Amino acid sequence: MSRSLASPLRWRPRVERRLTRPPATVLTALALATLLALMIAAMSGSVGLSPKVLLGDWPAPLAWQVWWQLRLPRLILAALIGAMLAGSGAAMQGLFRNPLADPTLLGLASGAGLAVALWVVLLEGAAGALGLYGQFLAGFLGALGVCVLVFALGERQRGQEALFTLLLAGLAINTLAGALGGVMAFIASDEQLRQLSLWGMGSLSHALWSAALGALIGIPPALWWLLRSAPGLDLLQLGELTAHGAGLDAPRLKRRVVLATALGVGLCVALAGIIGFLGLLVPHCLRLWLGPGHRLLLPASMLGGALLLIVADTLARTLASPAEIPVGLITSLLGGPYFLWLLLKRRMPC
Amino acid sequence: MLTLYNAGFIASPSLAPISDRLQPGELLAIVGPNGAGKSTLLTLLSGYRRPDRGSVCLGGVPLHCWDPRQLARRRALVAQKLTLGFDWPVRDLVALGSDAAPDEVEAALSLLDLQPLAARGAQHLSGGETQRVMVARALCQLGLGSIAGMPLGGMLLLDEPTSALDIGQQQRLMRLLRRLVEVQRMTVCCVLHDLNLAARYAHRVWLLERGERIAAGTPEAVLTPGCLARVFDAELDVSVSRTDNAPLVLLAP
Repeated sequence: MSRSLASPLRWRPRVERRLTRPPATVLTALALATLLALMIAAMSGSVGLSPKVLLGDWPAPLAWQVWWQLRLPRLILAALIGAMLAGSGAAMQGLFRNPLADPTLLGLASGAGLAVALWVVLLEGAAGALGLYGQFLAGFLGALGVCVLVFALGERQRGQEALFTLLLAGLAINTLAGALGGVMAFIASDEQLRQLSLWGMGSLSHALWSAALGALIGIPPALWWLLRSAPGLDLLQLGELTAHGAGLDAPRLKRRVVLATALGVGLCVALAGIIGFLGLLVPHCLRLWLGPGHRLLLPASMLGGALLLIVADTLARTLASPAEIPVGLITSLLGGPYFLWLLLKRRMPC
Repeated sequence: MLTLYNAGFIASPSLAPISDRLQPGELLAIVGPNGAGKSTLLTLLSGYRRPDRGSVCLGGVPLHCWDPRQLARRRALVAQKLTLGFDWPVRDLVALGSDAAPDEVEAALSLLDLQPLAARGAQHLSGGETQRVMVARALCQLGLGSIAGMPLGGMLLLDEPTSALDIGQQQRLMRLLRRLVEVQRMTVCCVLHDLNLAARYAHRVWLLERGERIAAGTPEAVLTPGCLARVFDAELDVSVSRTDNAPLVLLAP
């Protein structure tokens, strides 16, 4: 403060190393790693498909059919769902200014899960013609319903209170959905129960083009919305009052992030069940590495989530081949201990 | 110029209507007992809460009609406290809310002697350091790093910016605010608890009590023994400074 105000630019400080890393390098590295994982994943599985098999021995109808009908849609699904779950986790954490926020915390995932359980147990017999699409639709509507409810609750208050209301509403919805899901499991037949419990663990084994197309239509717009909210999420970290002073329309930002998350996560749950820990783990690790700025964190989380889910799904397909482990189990088995280790290592998780 | 036309809040926390204008080149101090509505008044002046009656206009345009980003270039706010969810480096935090170039950020940091802390995590700062970081951020938002881009009539609203500063830092901050007002023709509006700071550095003082502005004017006119003793319900020893005749408020023994 002692320096003259008239010429603050004359005094050049020693430039210290920025704590944030150059964005382009990080994103390129993550994108390359994701591409590499995609290529390896495309070749491995219960039927090994090297480029030689696919291209050399033309035409190799069975190999092509496996690759085109089964593997490609599954990879698309894994990449999109991974990106959506991790990206929405990062956005939720920014919105709540809390590193432990997550779409599952808002009750979106369990609401979608409950809707799917209701569908499988009560309605699938009556409207079986809809098939898998009925299940997708149910999950989607479940998440949307929870979103509207949670949002209506949150709109009544302003500022930080509204965020706590949202979290508490999510808690109540999680509990309620858990109980109702238990009721559904109680009255379900053995076959339905098996279907539900496999789906509930999170699995990409439904992945056909029908599912991949649904994801291709629904998820990229949600990702785009989240990416556009990054500067607003940065500002929100100052607190709502200061952020408003810095030009942020906070209610609009909240609407946008919550809606994008509801649409994207609802679709993810309907397509692949509840895949845990991605939304919590990926942004958390990347934040330790890249710093908390959302302009870099959001796209990096999306790439990292896609990378992690592709790897986890490849493991799920190959570890017990030809049988399959639900990928949700793998992410939870990888994520849980790592997260605990992180928490133990740092007393203040950021 | 910020103009209040009979502006106030009916809904709780309420604020009795105020009509006044804040001129460029003016440092206004808002004082009053706890819960008198000082922070509520700042939400009115910053446009965070839209008045239930009357209006607040900046440059003749009501605050809620401004484009939020345009408005952000002309008025910045320093809130009472900062609760961060994540550990932002000080330098990145100061750059938040502006598209300032790196050297402008450095200039804002240097104005508040924050250079040594620039690479530290903001969650690990003391209360006073955090307050200085928030002031630097607000200056950066107003484009103060590059003097050429400084908009005339920029407005800075601060909510108890000195509450955690030591006496030397208090003086440096208040002198900085005075220089901004005098050299840059800014409007600075500052909620203060320390009446002596208000007496020494403010051009005008507003005294609030129970959601109502009960006195406004020069420090000498407002900070009178009878008025202060009644509003604050304290026994005070109000005298006059020997250097510049500013009121000097001490607690009675």
